[in-house]
Amino acid sequence: MMALVTIYIDDKKIIANSEKTILEVARENNIEILTMCHLKGLTDVGACRLCMVELEGSPKLFSACTTKVAENMIVTTNSERIKRYQRITTELFFAERNHICAVCVSNGACELQNLGYKVGMEAIRYPHLFPQCDVDTSHPLYVMDQNRCISCSRCIRACAEVEGAYNWDMMGRGYQIRVISDFNTPWGESTTCTSCGKCLQACPTGALWAKSIVQGQQDKHPEFITDLMERRKMKL
Amino acid sequence: MNKKKLATVWLGGCSGCHMSLLDIDERILDVAKLADIVKSPVVDGKDFPEVDIALVEGSVTSDEHLAELLHIRKNTKTLIAFGDCAAMTNVTGMRNYFDLKDVFETSYVNSISNDQEGEVPDNPYLLRLHDKVLPLQECVPVDFVIPGCPPNADTIFYVLFEFLNDRTPNLSEAKKLKYG
Repeated sequence: MMALVTIYIDDKKIIANSEKTILEVARENNIEILTMCHLKGLTDVGACRLCMVELEGSPKLFSACTTKVAENMIVTTNSERIKRYQRITTELFFAERNHICAVCVSNGACELQNLGYKVGMEAIRYPHLFPQCDVDTSHPLYVMDQNRCISCSRCIRACAEVEGAYNWDMMGRGYQIRVISDFNTPWGESTTCTSCGKCLQACPTGALWAKSIVQGQQDKHPEFITDLMERRKMKL
Repeated sequence: MNKKKLATVWLGGCSGCHMSLLDIDERILDVAKLADIVKSPVVDGKDFPEVDIALVEGSVTSDEHLAELLHIRKNTKTLIAFGDCAAMTNVTGMRNYFDLKDVFETSYVNSISNDQEGEVPDNPYLLRLHDKVLPLQECVPVDFVIPGCPPNADTIFYVLFEFLNDRTPNLSEAKKLKYG
């Protein structure tokens, strides 16, 4: 049941719907919280750990996208500790796979790049893993490049929740985690993919892209996914 | 006023960062008022002398680069990692996903233009490639980083001008961060 609660985000008093998450309420009130795995319209999973916020009374950090607001909640989104963790998380994204902006289709229009600029990352302090990653070009229209994937799972959720095709899934754990098509078979041989391209629009980096474009030409519209889901709610 | 000494170095990179440095155009005169460029691919001079500021382009790919970088570090007050290769290995580091042996054979033996007749060079006077290409900060402490492939001329001039006037630039505040 919907109830109204009073919460405080960065000392700002806000009356909010108790069904909403901290992230939703913050965005409605123009308070910026960084995210990568959140895409409005898709189920939130708290995968990227960028939206961590402090809640007064707890030493733990909470992911704003999966924590619902509650009466008298006191939220801090911009402490030094939060900023430090955001910077660390961003650097680890870059160190984990092979993000070569200079040769990437998404160069200049990449959510990961923009994240780096937002947290002020001028260098990566951690050793790069340089993993050998697969590039799946078997699909007639699209490419899946594991080098550029940050495992946010937006493609998986867009495929399952919006298109209903369930082509994508996740395999493995930790740094060996990989997004897979069907049962880890080539994308071009998929029996579930409808080639709708929603995964491409949902992807925040250059991991999923269309063969018709080249370096720096990526023009993604993740808001398409949000719009689709909003329109489906309309009663005609 | 004492003029500062400035050096620019080209390690494992494509020289694109140096091209971008030349793109500061007539502002090089403002730099020249405050500093002498004492060592650079674009000026004469064999040995790397003691300098105030060194812009180091490219990553560390070989024993020669590492020795050069250690020498530069010893003789430089402010060492600046210049460009994406220096900061995060970038394109130069793309061979890190493969065995060095495979990389050599792909380039020198199996490349189509070699007609299968090429061989991997092993002259003792040649530099020795390291197994992995490393960014500068994994080899020596780095004082400042200018990312970008290449960095914008405006960004380069901003950083140089700040350091030459004894100020510390802040790329994030100046909204000049760029990768790729």
